[in-house]
Amino acid sequence: MKLKRIGDTREFDVEIIAREGSQVRARIDGVEVTAHLEPVADGSTMIRVADRHVRVFGARLRNAILVGAGPASFEFATVEGRIGAARHGLAAPEVTAPMPGKVLKILVAEGDTVENGQALAVLEAMKMETTLYAEAVATVKKIHVAAGQMVDHGAVIIEFSPAPATPSTNESTAPGA
Amino acid sequence: MEPRLACKCTPAVQRIFTLLFFPDNRHRQSIASSERNGAYGRLALRVNTRTIRKLLIANRGEIALRIIRSARVLGIKTIAVYSEADAGAAHVAAADDARLIGPPEPSASYLNIEAIIGAAKAAGADAIHPGYGFLSERPEFARAVEASGMVFVGPPADVMASLGDKVAARRIAVGAGVPVVPGVDTGDLAAAREFASKAGFPILVKAAAGGGGRGMRVVADATGLEAALEAAAREAQAAFGDGRVFLERYLARPRHIEIQILGDHHGDVIALGERECSIQRRHQKIIEESPAPGLSAAMRDRMIDAALKLARAAGYRNAGTAEFLVDGDNFYFLEINARLQVEHPITELRFGRDLVADQLRIAAGDRIDEPLTPRGCAIECRINAEDAAHDFRPAVGRVINLNLPAGPGVRIDTHLGLGAEVSPYYDSLIAKLICFGDDREQARARMIAALGEFSLLGITNTAAFLRDVVASAAFTSADLSTRFLDEHFPHWTNDEADLTTALIAAAMVSGGTLGARPDSAAAANGSRIESAANGARSPWAELAGFELWGRR
Repeated sequence: MKLKRIGDTREFDVEIIAREGSQVRARIDGVEVTAHLEPVADGSTMIRVADRHVRVFGARLRNAILVGAGPASFEFATVEGRIGAARHGLAAPEVTAPMPGKVLKILVAEGDTVENGQALAVLEAMKMETTLYAEAVATVKKIHVAAGQMVDHGAVIIEFSPAPATPSTNESTAPGA
Repeated sequence: MEPRLACKCTPAVQRIFTLLFFPDNRHRQSIASSERNGAYGRLALRVNTRTIRKLLIANRGEIALRIIRSARVLGIKTIAVYSEADAGAAHVAAADDARLIGPPEPSASYLNIEAIIGAAKAAGADAIHPGYGFLSERPEFARAVEASGMVFVGPPADVMASLGDKVAARRIAVGAGVPVVPGVDTGDLAAAREFASKAGFPILVKAAAGGGGRGMRVVADATGLEAALEAAAREAQAAFGDGRVFLERYLARPRHIEIQILGDHHGDVIALGERECSIQRRHQKIIEESPAPGLSAAMRDRMIDAALKLARAAGYRNAGTAEFLVDGDNFYFLEINARLQVEHPITELRFGRDLVADQLRIAAGDRIDEPLTPRGCAIECRINAEDAAHDFRPAVGRVINLNLPAGPGVRIDTHLGLGAEVSPYYDSLIAKLICFGDDREQARARMIAALGEFSLLGITNTAAFLRDVVASAAFTSADLSTRFLDEHFPHWTNDEADLTTALIAAAMVSGGTLGARPDSAAAANGSRIESAANGARSPWAELAGFELWGRR
């Protein structure tokens, strides 16, 4: 299966080849790795890879796989469907909220043509501002939210008309309060 | 029974009295706290006493919980306030009473003075503790509390007002003979040009009403000066409703060191050492320690002396912090934070004090105890709900599993528990991990070990990043400045070994051979009954990955 970290573009090809007792053999981007697993009473699993021994928690949410490995936290998405299609230029023509928050500003209007890298909207969560940018040239078909509105994770912010190239989102966090 | 009343009799009489009237366990706790209270032994000497029986905490999160704990130990009843987003929050459960004050948006709830004062009156509070952030430094809130006949646990409103204005605070400092960063108190272009020609570039333009890095601009050369002044004034006007700006020489690589002060109603002011807070991201502290590594005793004494002069000149009362920038052998006054600081626990550990208890006792009219001699070293790491690998993007979620560190010298202040939700409405601080040691190396080693024990599933957080920072050579050798993270951790990403482990785990979660157990996860999701009723279909039996928020 292909996995990517949410908020990242790097993809990983991960395969579980075999499991025998506490030993798991996996292949990550073509490299074989052996891991030893010991379940812990609290629902976590101690995983040993080479000389690293960490407590791992895992859970599947609707649109993400969460893994805690020691103090490190990871949020993965499986690369398929929409994300896979995006790489072939067939992405859903819309920009969605990368996190729940408040819409601070909408920087474009319906009918506008946006450039690659153009700022589209500013969201605020936890006193920090996040700007959403266009990743391709497109025309704004419909704006689904208004400034001041609270949105959920994944809510459609801006819909684009199927232009020659369609944008997807790229976020970067800017200092807020 | 009211502890303040109880303190007038001996502990023995008090115990009999309490057992007669409150034989249940709940009140046995207040016997202990009353005895403890009596043991302070100063209550009979109080002048200007204002009794605090019931305290409303106008805050949320870890600090609300922290304040409730100290109040309880003093035998004071606590009232929490909460927004609609926080109905199930830890501080609500911990308090003796809790009042809903409004919708999730801070402006409608935790910043809503009218709603908070209304809740305090309705619940019979006689004092309000503002915590940090939110209304803690709003003079109009302090005034409204006092005008309603309640005690505001903090400095007098007028003092707060003068210190909140950076230009006015600079004047107080200059008047008290405390050095400030060379600058001019005006955004006037002619004055700015004249200052720049003397001091040279770069120059920092700051908002008089600013804070947290907002309305701040670095000007690199003369050509950008006019535009920067205008832009900063516009930004300040928009952000604070006050367009006044002033100029300071820009210090390229300063350290941020602050002095804790306490002042009482009797004119006594004491200092409780320093805190080194140089490790910052976007002007927000993330790692603090005390003592400041390498700070000479002479320099510390000079800074403490300056902080005390400032506090006296301002007529300061209660807990406050004088912040300084340190550049070589020089230090410059930055501002006084007129509240309890986030990083107060490192001072508590070194001085063996409870600063919230100090605040409450000062507010009630007590005299400050002389400080003990500080010992050891304390370090605090702020664990935030942010993705350190992706530009510290804020993260939200619900706690699915949690493992908190413990052990000698390890303290954790957090409001997290299974099922706790981190919402987008409030600050990203989710836990403060504080480690104490005989010296810096022991505190540092304990911090690395404690961060290694910390694990939290459900909310992306900065714990692994903090562990790498604390374990780094740069931190070990205390190469500290406010540029620390830019210089040493410009593009942090997870350790490849952790990533490998996580990828294997993710593939197994996806394949259904690894996952959170339903007992904890279902509790987090409030669906324990459903999974129990599933019988043979129960994920319990499978120990496999399953859908947490319902089936796909």
